Amino acid sequence: MKVRHPTRDRWISLAVLAALALGWQVLSLVYTAEAQPGEPMVAGWQVLFTRTLLSLSDYWPGGLGVPAVADGAERSYLAALLAILLHSADTILRLAAGLMLGGVAGLVLGLALSWSRWTRRLVDWPLQFIRTLPLLAMVPLFQLWFGTDALGEVVFVAYGIGVIVFAGTVNAVRNIPQIYLDNARALGASRLFLTRTVVLPAIVPAMRSTVLLSLGAGWGAVLGAEYLGAQSGLGYMIVYAQQFAFLDRMFLVALLFVFYTSVSTVVLARLTGRMLAWAPEGQRA
Amino acid sequence: MTPVADSLRPGRAPDRLGSRTRALARAVDPLRLAGVAIGVAVWQGLTMLLPPIILPTPAGVAGRLRDDFWSAPALSYYGLTEPNLYGNLLYTAQNVLVAVLAGASIGIASGLLSARFPLVQAGLDPVVMTAGTVPILIAAPFLLIWFGVGRTSAVCLVVFYVAVTLHIFAARAARNVDPIFEQSARTLGAGSRRVLRDVLLPATVPEILGGLRIALAGAWGLEAVAELLGSQSGMGKVIEVLAGATDPQGIMAALLSLGSTAVLADLLAALAVARLTRWSAAAR
Amino acid sequence: MVVTDSRMIELVNIGRSFRRADGRTVAAVSDVSLTIPEGEFVCLIGTSGCGKSTLLAMIAGLLAPSQGSIVVDGREIDGPGPERGMVFQRDSVFPWMRVVDNVEYGLRCRGVAAPERRAVALRYLDRVGLGHVERAWPRELSGGMLKRVAIATVFANGAKVLMLDEPFGALDYVTRHQLQRVLLDLWDDGRAGTTRRTVLFVTHDVDEALLLADRILVVGAGRIVDDIRVEAPRPRDTDTLLRSDAVAIKHRLLGHLGLERPLAQGRAAGAAA
Repeated sequence: MKVRHPTRDRWISLAVLAALALGWQVLSLVYTAEAQPGEPMVAGWQVLFTRTLLSLSDYWPGGLGVPAVADGAERSYLAALLAILLHSADTILRLAAGLMLGGVAGLVLGLALSWSRWTRRLVDWPLQFIRTLPLLAMVPLFQLWFGTDALGEVVFVAYGIGVIVFAGTVNAVRNIPQIYLDNARALGASRLFLTRTVVLPAIVPAMRSTVLLSLGAGWGAVLGAEYLGAQSGLGYMIVYAQQFAFLDRMFLVALLFVFYTSVSTVVLARLTGRMLAWAPEGQRA
Repeated sequence: MTPVADSLRPGRAPDRLGSRTRALARAVDPLRLAGVAIGVAVWQGLTMLLPPIILPTPAGVAGRLRDDFWSAPALSYYGLTEPNLYGNLLYTAQNVLVAVLAGASIGIASGLLSARFPLVQAGLDPVVMTAGTVPILIAAPFLLIWFGVGRTSAVCLVVFYVAVTLHIFAARAARNVDPIFEQSARTLGAGSRRVLRDVLLPATVPEILGGLRIALAGAWGLEAVAELLGSQSGMGKVIEVLAGATDPQGIMAALLSLGSTAVLADLLAALAVARLTRWSAAAR
Repeated sequence: MVVTDSRMIELVNIGRSFRRADGRTVAAVSDVSLTIPEGEFVCLIGTSGCGKSTLLAMIAGLLAPSQGSIVVDGREIDGPGPERGMVFQRDSVFPWMRVVDNVEYGLRCRGVAAPERRAVALRYLDRVGLGHVERAWPRELSGGMLKRVAIATVFANGAKVLMLDEPFGALDYVTRHQLQRVLLDLWDDGRAGTTRRTVLFVTHDVDEALLLADRILVVGAGRIVDDIRVEAPRPRDTDTLLRSDAVAIKHRLLGHLGLERPLAQGRAAGAAA
């Protein structure tokens, strides 16, 4: 008979977040070591949102009437904002394109190959193996094949997503209660009609967790690809700063990245949750 | 659940033996073997369309794996401490093993605690929920600066990932335990420690071990990418070096050996899971 | 029938209220005082939500009363204890332990040596007719067999008071009757000596109560609304249910459960028709 206090617990959660932020600030005052002269290991919030933010204008390549720092211009908050928008857009577009491509390819392939129990068994082992291959370790291979520009990253993300969605689809189709299929067949449904009217709707609840899983994997994949050789994007900003041990910049960009991933996960979870309002609680995974 | 009539058949031993043979027959399913053959054939077919610098042949990769496994002098030329795949594989596997063990202990303990005590949960949830949605990879560059290039950074990264994953699995598993088991144990005279040992732990084992397998699968990639970002040994370093030399055959051989190790580790974990969850209907 | 005068269970002004989601407080049990002598078989009967399961949970120590005190075997209770065994309505057998390990679990909690507790567990498994499945996993058993395991577990643990919360509610007709016999058989063990166990048995089933109980307590709206003694001799069977005193009790119980219109009302309705 445990008693829960939702309101109290929410306050505690907020307090913990506030305490973490405060702890960071205290740490910045106490631990004043520098990674580089003028570059504190732990930058306080007042530094992060002024000098560090301003320094992000170094990442602005110029244009829109705002000159680049590399061309001798002064750092400005406008250039910093533009740099953030530009690199965020790069990362998000890569992720979105990869999600689309990989999601569609994985779903279609998965449905095609779970056509019958025979094909399902045929693809089982190769699929298991491909799924076990460590995705992030394959970045160099994809860069060798498709280059380090946008194409290479999109294809890599699409591959990572595609494998997850493919496996998720095959699994979801396998788990459809046989009675639905038997019932539809007894009513005289053809194979294609069966796929459209029974298989597709029946796998929707199980696919929700696959979609959420692939979003997380997609963020990881795009970050990994950008760490290793991309010339733009949030991951690039971080590793570029790492080479000069600009910890404050890394921290600020990482915070931005955390913000994007958290928001996208919450939004997607809410959206898919609403779309599945009809499904019984236990099936929504 | 297999409800049996109240007059239960006394000997289930022959049946169990039967299911074991059936499992063995399933394991060597010819159709699944054919699937592997088809996969290799498709690969072979593609090599006829693409230049070998893009896609090496299966035979080429297999040969390369055989040669490089014990001795690949070229690797030492690029500055690796171990001039073979075996040594680097061992290094990576050791790191993964240590990190998974450490991360699992932390994650399981914190997950069970937060399921038991709402206060702990309220305190840990914001941290874990954020860490659970953000790729842990984001921490890699920071670890490299704090701990330098080497084992510590990579292991820390994987420990962090495994701990977060298992915290989520353990907390969910503990919340899913039917309270009737704890009530029953307490009416039979069990104290808190016994409830923990005889009810909470065994009841959550299947879900936690499922999470452990998932965490293990992710750990290989994370370890490899941490090595790619900065290390002097390990499979990630090998792959980085080979990528620098534009050697897809070598990369694929390295990936194949890493993938096979991951498959082997997963198989061992699956065996352990099957052994520990014999009682569970889902494990059959 | 020998009923010793010692008081095994004593409830004094017991009450329990819950706070609902909308913030209002509802009383599940209010102001119940009750004395049950050692060795008595008591059935608690009442409609769903009348508070009988809450009452049982409080005596088991799984739920603290909002007011009043509960004394069992001379000691005021404070949480669950091995002297009070409980058989739940849902399956409570641990699926991760083999059948025999389940039955000896209570003894293990109290540090009884392995060979000794194994012997006790096997004896009770035999008594409930499950001697042949001691090494089975619970998932291999049917619902009725799991109930037998649960009964063997509480008896093996040597509890002086047994509480059963609608234990046979989900079972089929035949199995339910088999299990009633198993339960009575184990309870009757004490007849020769003096240590017949005290049983509190919650049920919906009027015939079940008549077949099992020395005394039937009717619970309604959180209070004991009737206390009926069943004098029919044991062993009881279908004929017992046809005795005139049993039929009278049955009418009385059905009336409490709202299944029989009071006589006057029935006549009025008949006159109107």
